[in-house]
Amino acid sequence: MSKISRRLFNTGLAAASVSTLAFPSISLGALPRVVVIGGGAGGATAARYIAKDSNGGVDVTLVEASKRYYTCFFSNIYLGGFRNYGSIGHNYYGLAVNRGVNMVHEWAVSVDAAARKVKLGSGEHLSYDKLVISPGIDLKYDTINGYSAEVQDHMPHAWKSGTQVQLLRNQVMNMKQGGTFVMVPPPNPYRCPPGPYERVSMIAHQFKQSNPSAKIVILDPKNKFSKQGLFEAGWQKHYPGMIEWISADTHGGLKNVNASSMEFETDLDTFKADAACVVPGQRAGAIAMAAGVNNGDWCPIVPTSMQSQADENIYVLGDASIAKSMPKSGFSANSQAKVAANHIRGALTGSKVFDARYSNTCWSLIAPDDDIKVGASYTGGAEAIDVESKFISQGDDSSETRAANYQESIDWYNGITADMFS
Amino acid sequence: MKILLFVIFLLISFCKFVFSDEHLDEQQIIDMGDVEYGQYLGAECASCHHQSGASEGIPSIHGMDAEVFVALMLAYRSKDMENPVMQMIAGRLNDEQIGSLALYFSGLEPSN
Repeated sequence: MSKISRRLFNTGLAAASVSTLAFPSISLGALPRVVVIGGGAGGATAARYIAKDSNGGVDVTLVEASKRYYTCFFSNIYLGGFRNYGSIGHNYYGLAVNRGVNMVHEWAVSVDAAARKVKLGSGEHLSYDKLVISPGIDLKYDTINGYSAEVQDHMPHAWKSGTQVQLLRNQVMNMKQGGTFVMVPPPNPYRCPPGPYERVSMIAHQFKQSNPSAKIVILDPKNKFSKQGLFEAGWQKHYPGMIEWISADTHGGLKNVNASSMEFETDLDTFKADAACVVPGQRAGAIAMAAGVNNGDWCPIVPTSMQSQADENIYVLGDASIAKSMPKSGFSANSQAKVAANHIRGALTGSKVFDARYSNTCWSLIAPDDDIKVGASYTGGAEAIDVESKFISQGDDSSETRAANYQESIDWYNGITADMFS
Repeated sequence: MKILLFVIFLLISFCKFVFSDEHLDEQQIIDMGDVEYGQYLGAECASCHHQSGASEGIPSIHGMDAEVFVALMLAYRSKDMENPVMQMIAGRLNDEQIGSLALYFSGLEPSN
């Protein structure tokens, strides 16, 4: 281990063990400084790759409020009862100890782009040469009349991992026999396009065992959805008569939700739920707005680098960015982080910068050993991130193929979480 | 897993011998590689291929023999081997990129 990396190693340990500490970057003086906001699939991957591949040549600080991070991906698998909640939780010790990343467990509240400083909730400032913003999504509660943060425990969105997801699982388990579950998917664009439909599948799987006469009604603000044909065939096969998907044109729009009476008012009918999951519209996490790198709800990026179009020293990754044809997914964020990390190291240390290439695959579990996938590879074009090639599961896949997809998704989960946190 | 890969390698070599296509052989492709480029390209693989690998499903590719690596990637690129993810990944790699990946992964510590 070189002197510098040992020093970073020790610094990382110190930062990990003492929560709010003076900022190690000060003691490292001459090293170029990168601050990463958000410790999810984009931010954790970016911090890890910059630290790992620069071999101590860049001082990396990761700002993430949580000490334990629960992945949004695979939270549906937990909802289906296939794994426990602890199994999708991860800590940052690997990044601190193995990679020398300085962990700061606080909220970032604002960015002074001219002075290149991030202000933390404690009032302290972090200076940077390059800033990575990967905050994920915030919810636009007001996209649904009657829905708000105040009633979200009554009708969980569970669209950010954490207590909301556990709450939803409890409400599914405790719903009265033969009751109705209402799912309201979000309008486009949103995190994890197949997610609402995998969620319905997993809840149906749970009901099939513990509440077989239950019904699920999907009041969709859209007229079509990701992998629709494959999902609908799977629902017909595994949960006949249990799931009713109602398109926007059919119900005419969700006019109001009433969290106390659990009623959903549409042109078609008023639906009464015994339990519900309501996912409102979404936008980039608030820190992206505070940094001024957004244009409306999302952040435009340079497709060849993931740099913000508003500021060349700021990179925006994952759900918060406008990656056009690339879906908002953990896989996409992880892929984008590697392009940004390569570009940032090049700018700060003179290392070689390679062509931007991205990829994504989304696996969705419909029932035990019936897993479908969709994926694509992308290049950073002049105007946008362009699709290079793509694939999707076939309706006539063998059951062996579908079972192999599920095993592959578990291996992928282990792979990507190691790629983020180890 | 290693035995399986070796068998696949033999099969592919045999097919290439029988059908004698005009592609470069594995060693020529490896010789085109650049390990630094391989490290960058290999980050894409790390999203799924865990360093310690899996007993079934997605295997570890750390420390894989470079010629086996190239043979497998060529087989995915030509769709002789199945798996839509790997066909997509390999489908956009040229010989230099496959050689670079082979150099990078063969130089890493194997998982066991």
